[in-house]
Amino acid sequence: MDHPPEKDVTEGLATVSYSVNSDGAYELVSGPGWQPVNVVNAQAWREIEKEISVAEDKVHSGRASCLQYYMTANQMDVGLLARYTGQPRWRIRLHLMPFFFSKLAPDAIRKYAELFQVTSEDLKNGRLKPPVYERRKD
Amino acid sequence: MNAGKINSRIMIDFTHRQSAHCESGVAANLLTYNGIKISEAMAFGIGGGLFFGYLPFIRINHLPLITYRAAAGKILQQIAAIPGVTMVRKTFRDQARAMDELDRALAASIPVGLQTGVFWLPYFPMALRFHFNAHNLVVYGKEGHDYLISDPVFPEPVRCPTEDLQRARFASGALAPKGKMYYLAQVPDEFDRASFIVQGIQYVCKMMLGSPFPLIGVKGINFLAGRLEKWPCRLGNEKADLHLGHVVRMQEEIGTGGGGFRFMYGAFLQECADELQDDFLRDSASSLTLTGDAWRQFAGMAARICKNRLQPEDTYPAMAGIIRHCGEMEKQIFRDLHTWVNEQQ
Repeated sequence: MDHPPEKDVTEGLATVSYSVNSDGAYELVSGPGWQPVNVVNAQAWREIEKEISVAEDKVHSGRASCLQYYMTANQMDVGLLARYTGQPRWRIRLHLMPFFFSKLAPDAIRKYAELFQVTSEDLKNGRLKPPVYERRKD
Repeated sequence: MNAGKINSRIMIDFTHRQSAHCESGVAANLLTYNGIKISEAMAFGIGGGLFFGYLPFIRINHLPLITYRAAAGKILQQIAAIPGVTMVRKTFRDQARAMDELDRALAASIPVGLQTGVFWLPYFPMALRFHFNAHNLVVYGKEGHDYLISDPVFPEPVRCPTEDLQRARFASGALAPKGKMYYLAQVPDEFDRASFIVQGIQYVCKMMLGSPFPLIGVKGINFLAGRLEKWPCRLGNEKADLHLGHVVRMQEEIGTGGGGFRFMYGAFLQECADELQDDFLRDSASSLTLTGDAWRQFAGMAARICKNRLQPEDTYPAMAGIIRHCGEMEKQIFRDLHTWVNEQQ
């Protein structure tokens, strides 16, 4: 898995904000993000990437199904994944175990595949593709 | 359902103006389109957008909710409540119906506001794609398979494929939009700004000073200071830094310039001062700028701590001190504004 390096939060998107000019009047000025915010956003992403690599390890060592990776990489938890797929939480917890995941019906797999925007084959073969927000950037 | 229209092109002549904050931006742009020329800051102020709340029992990614502005949807709600304004608001269960309804409104040349989850919006910068479900934008057209979108925090209009927009409208989790769409069906011919300005200010004064709950308004600011001071010994350094980073992240949602919406409210007060020829409001705006600066000073210190580049004076108690100072200043500002409001009536 390759995760791109940290970037400026807005990736060059020029946001606007209010600031006071030399006459004391407020203006809407355009500019890159404010420095401290890049710092704390990078901090939040480091935390997410840490969780993702823990999930990857679990999947590789066979302690969790690839669903664990996709859930974490897409910043979801069991509760959110349950709501997105319209299933109770306990069923998600079962599917996080390789034993139950390998026995999933094609329909159940497809639901996850659609949500994470990968193919059913990817899930069945345990291929770990990047999360939704790292693709479809065109 | 409407396969015949797939290749059609609808484009409403909607003026996209970039704004600092999504909800006030959408409100201002929609009102302006309907003939009520209004700035974003004015919409923010009339909508009573400024707030403070520290709500540790609501968790975002396991971290306490801190907000520097009114709850999502509040500004639009306040604007919809203006006499003579009719805002049609709908939520949906059925996704296909939600998209059909959007197409129908567009076909009738109505620009439509949507609540969306940013995680699913492909045009958003990757690093901002969290599961945040209260992002507002305006759809002003459709070309083939893409919707034409005026997203107020972007410099130019953007496009979004149908299936992605549908996902974003039906994002799950906290603040789930449930396909929410809204548009202005009617606006008054006469728009008496002065009275709405007073009402908007009165509302914010009430929220900042009058709440009986210790977590809201100025009391909430002091409460946060007290908690923040104890984070390092209660949570350990690493977790304390995470909490701290989270506070700063909330303070700077896109484009507030780091002042937790204090600068935007200052801009509003300044505009009111011009509009009503009132020097008191101009002074209040300057005072609020000072609190915005103090919030920024806190955030700067917090960022140095999170980055481990601290200077000797960067400590948790020092930050708590700055926050208390902010609370003290805001208390005074809103007391004075409250007196001003009473004089107007």
